[in-house]
Amino acid sequence: MSLATCIGREQNLFNETMGHAYRVMFDSPVLLFSDFNQLLALDSTYYRANTVDLNYDLAEGLETAIKRVCDEAERLARTGTTLLILSDRATSKNKQVIPAAMAVGAVQRVLVDQSLRCDTNIIVETASARDPHHFAVLLGFGATAIYPYLAYESISALSLKHGVTETQKLMLNFRQGIDKGLRKIMSKMGISTVGSYRCSQQFEAIGLSTDVVELCFKGVISRIEGANFDLLEKDQQVLQKLAFQKHQPLPQGGLLKYVEGGEYHCFNPDVVNTLQACLRDKDYPTYKRFTQLVDDRTIATLRDLFVVKGDKDAITIDQVEGADTLYPRFDSAAMSIGALSPEAHEALAVAMNRLGGRSNSGEGGEDPSRFNSVRNSAIKQIASGRFGVTAHYLVNAEVLQIKVAQGAKPGEGGQLPGDKVSVEIAALRNARPGVTLISPPPHHDIYSIEDLAQLIFDLKQINPKALISVKLVSEPGVGTIATGVAKAYADMITISGYDGGTGASPITSVKYAGSPWELGLAEVHQSLVANGLRHKIRLQVDGGLKTGADVIKAALLGAESFGFGTVPMIALGCKYLRICHLNNCATGVATQNKQLRDNHYHGLPERVMTYFEFMAQEIREYMAALGVSEFEQLVGRSDWLSALEGVTEKQQQLDLSAILFKPDIPAGCALTWQETNPTSDQGELNQTIIAAAKEAVEQGETFKACFNINNTDRSVGAGLSGHIATTVGLQGAKAPVNLRFNGSAGQSFGVWNAPGLNMELCGDANDYVGKGMSGGKLTVYPPLGSMFQSERSVILGNTCLYGASGGKLFAAGKAGERFAVRNSGAIAVVEGLGDNGCEYMTGGIVVVLGKTGVNFGAGMTGGFAYVFDRFGHFNRRVNTEMVDTHKVSSPIQQQHLKGLIEEHLNETGSEHAKMLLNDFENWIDCFVLIKPKNVALNDLLRLEQSQPELSVVAG
Amino acid sequence: MSNDFQFIEVGRKDPTKHAAAKRATQFIEIYQPFAQPQVSEQADRCLDCGNPYCEWKCPLHNYIPNWLKLAQQGRILEAAELVHETNTLPEICGRVCPQDRLCEGACTLNDEFGAVTIGNVEKYITDTAIAQGWRPDMSKVTARSERVAIIGAGPAGLGCADILARNGVKTVVYDKNPQIGGLLTYGIPAFKLDKSVMATRREVLEGMGIDFKLNVTVGQDIGFDALLEQYDAVFLGMGTYTAMQAGLDNEDAQGVYQALPYLIGNTHHIMGTESTESPYLSLEGKKVVVLGGGDTAMDCVRTAVRQGAKEVICAYRRDEENMPGSRREVQNAREEGVQFLFNRQPTSIKIEAGVVTGIECIETQLGEPDDSGRRRPQPIEGSEQLIDADAIIIAFGFQPSPAKWFADYDIELDQWGRVVAPKVADNPFQTSNPKVFAGGDMVRGSDLVVTAIAEGRDAALGILNSFEG
Repeated sequence: MSLATCIGREQNLFNETMGHAYRVMFDSPVLLFSDFNQLLALDSTYYRANTVDLNYDLAEGLETAIKRVCDEAERLARTGTTLLILSDRATSKNKQVIPAAMAVGAVQRVLVDQSLRCDTNIIVETASARDPHHFAVLLGFGATAIYPYLAYESISALSLKHGVTETQKLMLNFRQGIDKGLRKIMSKMGISTVGSYRCSQQFEAIGLSTDVVELCFKGVISRIEGANFDLLEKDQQVLQKLAFQKHQPLPQGGLLKYVEGGEYHCFNPDVVNTLQACLRDKDYPTYKRFTQLVDDRTIATLRDLFVVKGDKDAITIDQVEGADTLYPRFDSAAMSIGALSPEAHEALAVAMNRLGGRSNSGEGGEDPSRFNSVRNSAIKQIASGRFGVTAHYLVNAEVLQIKVAQGAKPGEGGQLPGDKVSVEIAALRNARPGVTLISPPPHHDIYSIEDLAQLIFDLKQINPKALISVKLVSEPGVGTIATGVAKAYADMITISGYDGGTGASPITSVKYAGSPWELGLAEVHQSLVANGLRHKIRLQVDGGLKTGADVIKAALLGAESFGFGTVPMIALGCKYLRICHLNNCATGVATQNKQLRDNHYHGLPERVMTYFEFMAQEIREYMAALGVSEFEQLVGRSDWLSALEGVTEKQQQLDLSAILFKPDIPAGCALTWQETNPTSDQGELNQTIIAAAKEAVEQGETFKACFNINNTDRSVGAGLSGHIATTVGLQGAKAPVNLRFNGSAGQSFGVWNAPGLNMELCGDANDYVGKGMSGGKLTVYPPLGSMFQSERSVILGNTCLYGASGGKLFAAGKAGERFAVRNSGAIAVVEGLGDNGCEYMTGGIVVVLGKTGVNFGAGMTGGFAYVFDRFGHFNRRVNTEMVDTHKVSSPIQQQHLKGLIEEHLNETGSEHAKMLLNDFENWIDCFVLIKPKNVALNDLLRLEQSQPELSVVAG
Repeated sequence: MSNDFQFIEVGRKDPTKHAAAKRATQFIEIYQPFAQPQVSEQADRCLDCGNPYCEWKCPLHNYIPNWLKLAQQGRILEAAELVHETNTLPEICGRVCPQDRLCEGACTLNDEFGAVTIGNVEKYITDTAIAQGWRPDMSKVTARSERVAIIGAGPAGLGCADILARNGVKTVVYDKNPQIGGLLTYGIPAFKLDKSVMATRREVLEGMGIDFKLNVTVGQDIGFDALLEQYDAVFLGMGTYTAMQAGLDNEDAQGVYQALPYLIGNTHHIMGTESTESPYLSLEGKKVVVLGGGDTAMDCVRTAVRQGAKEVICAYRRDEENMPGSRREVQNAREEGVQFLFNRQPTSIKIEAGVVTGIECIETQLGEPDDSGRRRPQPIEGSEQLIDADAIIIAFGFQPSPAKWFADYDIELDQWGRVVAPKVADNPFQTSNPKVFAGGDMVRGSDLVVTAIAEGRDAALGILNSFEG
């Protein structure tokens, strides 16, 4: 990633002139005092700087002032200004300040419209930028660079107060922090250079009026109207007044943690204490006090602006469907074992299973001893890290949830700090204890909706009984995505709102990323209905749901199932301390610390059940009042919601009609889920294989067969792996099952391959070979007599062995990009690789008998690799941030490598392997060993050959 | 550096107390001050919760986790600055607040690990900073034209004066006593709050430009109309002084005393002054029974012990669990030799020749909770018993004592005699006379010191708001 920022006039790229040289380069768009001064001191022939003051007289008005600033900017740009400095520095008691973001956005629009933007750079000198989001907004709306003078002056004042003399270092630290934050923000959007991020407007405006958006943020999505210039000006006036009351202490804040009189927090101490009290005492009136605290809060969410009003007469509560049929609508939201203590994780599963709802494993795998018991999580999550995702894990689920993103931190994967990666957790995730586990932002096997369809197909092949759920975040355009997901044959969609996220979620994401579920849910429901797909999808919502009223409102907006994250944790004793990342949770809920778990965790599944019982009762009361006997009748009845006027002036400006829109139902569709969504591809070859091998597997006998394969045969082997995992279990087939294929395999050959299943392919294969394999062996080689050199020819597609946790793969040919990403245990020998090989690997061994692509070994924290580096170019291709490279010098390692190549030769008959072995003593000097920096060379083999212990304490 | 696991590795440690024997004879503060290493060690136990329950529970909403962190790092002057942002009398709250019912009681660690020693850290921060010469920074304050008179130099009045002064309002505080503090000075015994503490605070407040006019009784020495004329607003913080009667026979007999005059008389005696309203009373050699279970009752029993009473008994009609006072004070009293008789409801005072000889009590058991959630004591038939006593002190709490002249100035009272001055209003704590504001016990009925400070401060904001028009 790069934040390199070029400043100066841009010229025609195709025209080689001297003019291109008049550009200066900074490492970061965040300027220091010295940077800024240097910039101003540049030769004015090429870098003329002019300042536009962002202060104005109140009489002028905000809107007029912005227009004036735009005119001035345009005039300056036309007359040769290269550095257009928008500055709020000259503020004074009787001046008002134009918010920097508004000025930048407006000036950017004018300069672009007038084709002047490339002639000028917008430099913002502002007091208002201090956290990464502030900088990202300015950059995203067009700023070239930012000089945050007040942040520096504050640092300088603080250092004086603290008697620290290295002020300069502090400022550099601040900038480094902001830079890191900017990289993180850019990475969430999949953008790697600040040049691409600049002017990209990766934002949604929530609560701005059309005239503000048109003038200042043109092009950004804004769906519910909101504050106009007058109201924004009033806000600024309040700030301005405070700024000049020098005797008033600075406010204590309250944005991040609860502070009385500060920002309203939905889980404030009153709410948490009342909730815990009602569950402890099992007291419904206290529960009602809790719901009153929540439902009657000062307006904090969009749903608080809705009121429910039916058009039917009330019925008695006896006429309403029983709580038992409501429970299946409730799921606990995904929280991994690892984030939660094993005890808390199990208690959630026990509670949901007893009740008839479902608990969600999260993305950290699950102890197999919990399968087939009341402690099993009915929903198993498949997230980008693929931790613990094995055939056995997948078949022990009623619902398989693909986490595309998480509402609280869209664009980011789960992050488990090293302190929480205990021996048990590491075993479940096939990782090393103490090593921080950061799931990658994307799924490496999903780059398009077709890829997602393939993953759904993979899952439906291994576990045909499970419903496939796709978790999406509420964001503009999610309706279109959801329609695609429905067409990719998902059965459920979860829309995740921006509330939630444990204390381990990055603060900037919790505060600035994601959007309210009300918007996303309404959009998805409406577009599924309009596209005639709603009846095939069970629609779930999660994000900050607390009370019966929340559930009723969500149902009216189209949800028929509901996910709960924080409340069940609070029921288990969590006091909302927001220290989940420190592993010192005093309530034992979110820690792996033995002492805290053993002595201070007192969570009971009964408390969680009581919560859902109370809520079901409350929902039934609402239903009775609405005259509805079946919950189903509520779903999608947005006409029963009406928008309140709002209390504050800003709320009164909102227009929520888009959320409440009720689409016409096309013929054959419905407002609710009616049927499953089977794939059109029946996976015939898989059916044939299962039919043939079924009996042998069940009897524990060996089996051998040969099939022809075609590239329309996808996920071949998954059906049988599923059958093995279901009938035999974790250890896999008792006697080897050997299948031989001739032809060109379709995608996902050997996906989720189970132990005991050995598949040999004479021909070649598409993407995802051995993805998620946990055992067995896959062998791919070209037909006998092929003329081409195997080490120069591609035999496997992209993303092979992604998330594999065991087994072996031998391929006499090159593999594509992203080979063995997130591999945690598989052993593979291939003859060449594309880019990004072995990324995020945490275990296993990869031997590459040929060239690799670039960025090899990025983020690799476990396992190791041997690469045949014939021409000594490998050092240019390896990413040495986490790994180092060595000669294969120790005899044991040489022997080990030789053994693997011999096995490869045996399996595939590779001529290339034969050539290497024939003169191994000579070629050995060309091999490079790549290992994580944090593992000693001598430990490698021992670590890879020892079995991970699966010994999580079962509570 | 702080340690995330400090709360497990290091237990809660209160500062050392003086030995009970020494305490039984001397009116000295029983807790010895913390030193910086202890403060750092104890403050580091704070988890810095996302929901700071301590701050939420504190009537002043002190920024407790924030100044605990500063104290842990030894940044005492910054901590003092922050402590004073929300509190006028932090060193006093640190000493007399029932922390076990407020911040420390709400502390996340309280249930299983022992709460952070918030009160003692607060005391340390303030005492140390003031001793090091810290004073509120008034340099950025620009003087305003308005002047405000405050009647009563108790916690509410001082809270109000503090905020007004920090906003540049000229503030004059009138009090009938020779020293500021109100009940803090005269009601609370010196073994909980050394009298020098308030004297130091007076210097700090005077340094902020607050004027104290002491030994002045409004209504006698100066008329209220004169105040209304001279000042732009008047704040009433006059407390509640009418003692609750026990409603027993022979309550006016010789040897039956009310708690507050007893405590006030004792304090005056120690300070070397004299109060005509509350003359000094020594219970040396007496057998004393104190009726009641609040903090005032504890102050009485422990004062009696120090005066050399032969035997001191506290009789309370509910059980220990349901006592309204601070547990810590009960513990301290017990250490000092006080006997407790729980579930005893007094029925009559026995006398001989007009002099007390004992008190008859009936045993109780606890019945259903009342509206406030506390279980009602119910007498058990036939369980009457007589406790011998030479002195009986009634500590049943206080009722409002509104001045007679309130009516002349259109200051409305409610049915219990409390001044009507609602907190939630355009100008918080404004009375029915728009120029007059009120707060503290006289508005809400007798309550904690910290609530009075909070109301005084909020009333000051109400006054400032009224000036903005």
